[in-house]
Amino acid sequence: MGLPQVSLVDVASYLPGSTVGTEYFTQFARSDRMAKNEMLRAPRTRHHVARDETAVDMVERAVAPLVERHGQQAISNIDVLLTHTQLPDNPVLGPGSEVARRLGMTPGWVIDIHNGGCAAFLHMIGLARMILQTTAARTALIAASQNSAGPVFTQTEVRKLAQAAVPGDGCGVGLLVKNSEAPILDVQTRTYPEFAGDMMFCTDVTGSGTFDRDRKYWEPGPGQPCVSFTESRIAKVFTRGNRLVPELAHAVCERIGVKSRDIDVFVTNQPNRLFLRNWREAMGLPPEQHPDTFDSCGNLFAAGIPVTLDAENRAGRLRNGSIVLMAAFAHAGDFAGAAAVRWGAAR
Amino acid sequence: MTTSALPALSDIEDRTIPGVLRIENSDREATAPIIMDRLRSVYPHDQIFGMFCPVQDYIAVPPRELYAYLADPRSLEEWSYGMRGFAETDQPGLWVAADRLVPDTEIYIRTVANPDAMTVDYHCAWDQGEHLWMVYLMRVIDAQVVLNKPGSVVTWINCHHPFYDENPYPETAPPGREEWVGDLWEMFSAGHKLELGNLKAIAEYRASHGLPITPDWMR
Repeated sequence: MGLPQVSLVDVASYLPGSTVGTEYFTQFARSDRMAKNEMLRAPRTRHHVARDETAVDMVERAVAPLVERHGQQAISNIDVLLTHTQLPDNPVLGPGSEVARRLGMTPGWVIDIHNGGCAAFLHMIGLARMILQTTAARTALIAASQNSAGPVFTQTEVRKLAQAAVPGDGCGVGLLVKNSEAPILDVQTRTYPEFAGDMMFCTDVTGSGTFDRDRKYWEPGPGQPCVSFTESRIAKVFTRGNRLVPELAHAVCERIGVKSRDIDVFVTNQPNRLFLRNWREAMGLPPEQHPDTFDSCGNLFAAGIPVTLDAENRAGRLRNGSIVLMAAFAHAGDFAGAAAVRWGAAR
Repeated sequence: MTTSALPALSDIEDRTIPGVLRIENSDREATAPIIMDRLRSVYPHDQIFGMFCPVQDYIAVPPRELYAYLADPRSLEEWSYGMRGFAETDQPGLWVAADRLVPDTEIYIRTVANPDAMTVDYHCAWDQGEHLWMVYLMRVIDAQVVLNKPGSVVTWINCHHPFYDENPYPETAPPGREEWVGDLWEMFSAGHKLELGNLKAIAEYRASHGLPITPDWMR
């Protein structure tokens, strides 16, 4: 009668290269004051993917510990492969099929997800669970790659922006199995069309911090590309984020019949320290129950949740049986999601 | 256009007062993070409703008529949760009613209304009419001006007078009553919102049914 349970049985992650300190950016700051502000607000370190390292490489490296723990056979037999890549290496094609080849898989379902932004891991949990619950598929691998920090935010003009010091690169993966070892208790995702379009891709960031969008990204030209938000709407986007993440997190709490204060671990996306503080306040949870990797890894976009889960799990801070609540919002607020798991991946 | 031609704060030494943020001493870049820091997902109840209790709503009735209704203390007979049996005392304009929230309690009320500003201040007190220290400050605003649509905006602010914390006239209380009006302060935000909802529902019902906002019995 009921749908079968689906578990998030394991997570793993990969952080490329050595850490890059904030002084890399402050040396390019447009003023001393800006440099000081960056030191204050930016993460202490972050990782940058190398120029020739692809999203496929990142996923392969993130999956390596799963191969070690579950065996090559388990990975080869994956039925469902979902990927999300912040900056696709090939703009007209996601990396799914190449990931499958690299990992020796022949999944029945390969889907490259290009929406969901910082909440894409939750989006993929929801989709993978649905596929496992409603088809013969038994296992799924979901992979979130944030690979824009190195390529985009170290460009000579872009790195002068205050926002350049915030992103970091990394990849997080999750293994889902149709069983009840570590059941996904609920997933909620919502799209907010009214907030679509407030995030733009500009093709020419100038040193003075202006964003030109005249040239299409596929047209030749000298400008440096970057994602930007309309400056005057920053506070609106901030307020949306303040609202959306607790809204979805509370919705999941209500559906699974748990008070937010009784959540054992709360993991969110990590755009900046203010969001982290505000969301934790909204859930009534102390900082130690809301771990993040912002200070060492920066904003990892969609990879933030699985990278943090893996770091906490490796540190032995996620107990089996505890309730882990994840929540995030995407872009300028056009998507948000939350999911709760009864943890079962402790080692 | 000229800027800062007026001698603002010229009476202050260095024109500087700690904590005053003006564009001259804190430009937009410096002020933005201060602002962002104050934007939260949630705000503690006490921070929003501790010292002051503001509630407000839009009501789809003509502002002038709503003002006239509110300016008569007897309107509380209808839209308040529990003030009943309004009668004028021997002092003109001073009314007394039973506050049925608690047994045997009288509430004295005088409205101070200003038709130009459309402000209606309810000066009230439990038990005695000499010192009306509970003051409900209401204002009716033409919604056309502030929301670009017909109707009224009503704001209602209550201030946490120290007497809420301790009854200054215990001798006027009915014997045996244990509850004091200030014990309810924490409920005022929700309670006043409930009463404002009553006001909105009653006034909008009358407006949509072609009835005068101020009923005949009050005329």
